[in-house]
Amino acid sequence: MSGIVQVMIFGLLLGGVYALFASGLTLAFGVMRIVNLAHAVFIVAAAYVAFFAWEKLDIDPLLSILFIMPLFFIAGIGVYRVFFTRIEGSPRYVEMTVLLTFGVAIMVEGLLGVQFTGIFRQAKPAYLTDAFFIGDFLVPTGQFFAATLSLVLLFVLYLFLRFTRTGYGIRATMQNRDAAQLVGVNVRRVSAISFGLSAALAGASGALMSYLFPFFPFRHWQWIAILLALVVLGGMGSLKGAVIGALLLGVASSLVVDQIGLGWGPMAFYGALFGILLIRPRGLFGKEVAA
Amino acid sequence: MIEDRAAADGLEPDVVEAVTAPEGPRKSRWIVVGVLLAVLLLLPLTRPFIGSYNYWILIATNVLMWVAMASSWNILGGYAGYISLGHAVFFGVGGYVAAVPLYYYGVSPFLTAVVGGLAAVALGLVAGLITLRTRGPAFIISTIALLFMFLLIFENSDYLGGTAGLPLPSLDLVPQEWRKAPFYYAMLIAAVGSIVLSYQVAHSKFGLGLRAIAEDETKAEVAGVPTRFYKILAFALSAFWVGFVGAMWGYSLAFARPTLFFTVAISAEMVLMAIIGGRATVAGPVIGAVLIYAVNEFSIVQFGSSEINIVIVGVLLVTVLLFFPVGIVGSLRDKGRLPAFLNWD
Amino acid sequence: MALLEVRNIDAGYGQGPDILKGLSLEVAEGTSYCIIGPNGAGKSTLLKVISGLLPPRSGEVVFNGVPFNGFRPDQILAAGICFVPQDQAVFGEMSVKENLIIGAYLEKDRSVIKERMERVFEQFPILAERASMDAGKLSGGQQQMLALGRALMIDPDVLMLDEPSLGLAPQIADQIFATIRELEALGITIIMVEQNAVRGLELADWGVVLDLGICRFQGPADTILEDPRIRELYLGKAVDTEGAP
Repeated sequence: MSGIVQVMIFGLLLGGVYALFASGLTLAFGVMRIVNLAHAVFIVAAAYVAFFAWEKLDIDPLLSILFIMPLFFIAGIGVYRVFFTRIEGSPRYVEMTVLLTFGVAIMVEGLLGVQFTGIFRQAKPAYLTDAFFIGDFLVPTGQFFAATLSLVLLFVLYLFLRFTRTGYGIRATMQNRDAAQLVGVNVRRVSAISFGLSAALAGASGALMSYLFPFFPFRHWQWIAILLALVVLGGMGSLKGAVIGALLLGVASSLVVDQIGLGWGPMAFYGALFGILLIRPRGLFGKEVAA
Repeated sequence: MIEDRAAADGLEPDVVEAVTAPEGPRKSRWIVVGVLLAVLLLLPLTRPFIGSYNYWILIATNVLMWVAMASSWNILGGYAGYISLGHAVFFGVGGYVAAVPLYYYGVSPFLTAVVGGLAAVALGLVAGLITLRTRGPAFIISTIALLFMFLLIFENSDYLGGTAGLPLPSLDLVPQEWRKAPFYYAMLIAAVGSIVLSYQVAHSKFGLGLRAIAEDETKAEVAGVPTRFYKILAFALSAFWVGFVGAMWGYSLAFARPTLFFTVAISAEMVLMAIIGGRATVAGPVIGAVLIYAVNEFSIVQFGSSEINIVIVGVLLVTVLLFFPVGIVGSLRDKGRLPAFLNWD
Repeated sequence: MALLEVRNIDAGYGQGPDILKGLSLEVAEGTSYCIIGPNGAGKSTLLKVISGLLPPRSGEVVFNGVPFNGFRPDQILAAGICFVPQDQAVFGEMSVKENLIIGAYLEKDRSVIKERMERVFEQFPILAERASMDAGKLSGGQQQMLALGRALMIDPDVLMLDEPSLGLAPQIADQIFATIRELEALGITIIMVEQNAVRGLELADWGVVLDLGICRFQGPADTILEDPRIRELYLGKAVDTEGAP
């Protein structure tokens, strides 16, 4: 029995991190109906920033979040202005965002590869190999920090969305774009800010990735595949769904790794994806899909 | 007394415009096709006369393969507007359907290629049944997941060779110097087959239905188009030739490894080729395949086989999407300057 | 000069045909307008054009002498025109209170917001009761009240309502119309599209019949109501069956 609990603890720690990774992705869809296939490559790019900050400047990955998030926030707004305002009125907008971000992902992956080559990188701060015990159960320190930080960031995001004026604007735009405009929300500005937020969340995710998961440019595809599956499970556009989906899948994939084998973890995500599409295509907390 | 402005302005009800009849077939394009086919059929026979024969026949074989793949992708991605980013999964399925019997039992892939195509179709049907139930991005996401799922399964399966893959024995069907010819002809068959399939789809009621789905799925449903059935059928049809060429290609490499087949890069190339050529056209993917293959070859010669090629693919895709979304054939057609031999729609 | 002028508007959706064809209309301050007309005539389209949700293909909208050249809906609201659309007007996943708060998105002064919210709760006590409930769980009539209440949070100069009584039970519709009457008395300019032509024209000062893409008939509301041509073309059965849609 304790074996299972241990596995579940690992799963929850992972899930907390997955929640942060996926939050930016689902936010972009919820506010702007953008399916951002480049989200994971942003995370990897941020991981490179954090890694080199650690390697060359001795900056702890967790601390690097302090400058990575603002940097990526601004970059995100820039990316939105350059690419997405152009396709705003397109008839098949969602599809366009998929193809466009697909292209951007390929482009950025290539650039990262040219610049940094394909060798695996991983920041190795002291807490990476540390662990502590809660009762009988082992809790790896690095993962504990990551999960806690993720949840803190997500909580701050929640407070922001719930109680600030911009947060209201973002939520209104997510729920009903026309009505939001009619109460005075500048949806274009809100969209740019939301994309900036999405990128900032990717930035924070990258800082965590830099030490948690060895990475190289091509890796983002495996990540985007599972993050997309996670977001569909939770319901596209639902932050609550992303968090819950992440925790569930974190535990599920941990169990799969424990029971079946190390390489099989992602199967939990794929299985969940096809399963939810069979049973409830809108996801756990998603809205009915309009065309 | 309140004024009737309609009377004052002399307004009349709208006149419904007559529907213009489609143009009939043009003889000139059949001549071009005939010449092209003849050249292609005879190409391998030029071996004694051309110096770098091996290089050129390889290029021709590859271009034909990509033509087949881009045209196939176009059936679902172009006509129906449902983007499959994981289409390489069919390539891989076909590849292994040929590789496994070859490795374990020495069965010739020229026999199993069709089976490879059919296996891909079967996968398309099953996957489509699950994932084409809704509109929206869920389908696209599921195609990526499907690709990575298969990559995972094949990498972790010892029977299928795992990450190292299966080395494939050569079968010595033809004398050494003509070794490349059978592949060439197989890919030629695939290219012609997929173009014919694309043409048939485009000119059928089925194709009309797909286009309606692409334009406005709700309206199509209301108008009585069996959208779910059509989408699944299009997905399945778009898999056949991709599976077929996968079977052939693996053999020509003498190796079957998961990362050779189940890659996003292959999917991306198919998508880019169809889009840059012109989605929802018959000639578009063909043009796109030739063009992108040429660009890739050029960049490999210039920059070596490096990440720069990937950047170029990405930049091209983004540029085409932002500035030429209907592709080459589409743009030419919109401006009324489409040459007859490209006009097959 | 009229408060709001709609000049020669052509408008349509997507690649479709023009629904409004050279439509012109003048709106005087403090007056209430009821727009009627057959289905598909473009009544909702007109309101969408004025509110900025649908850019016109030609022509312009001028408010207080300022042309709305490419203005976004939020800019038009800031100028003073508030639009309450026909359905999907409320934010289903926000509570009643949050809906009202966001109704005052452009208002910076918190005490003003608080004051107006209390006024709305007085006007619609049932909303006060359901203050914490998600708007999506309210009944149709309550959602309409919320939509109207939310419009009041911003104190508009012009209030445009698209089918305020649609699908509502007669008593609730009465409440809505009573509120509209109070707003009229306060001097707010009201433009109302009403399927229930009789009710709408009884309430308003001025009637406008939208047909064939233009304002085909217009005049004092009671004259419009009495006009035999209009009765025959547009009011038909509705005149004899009181209040039924």
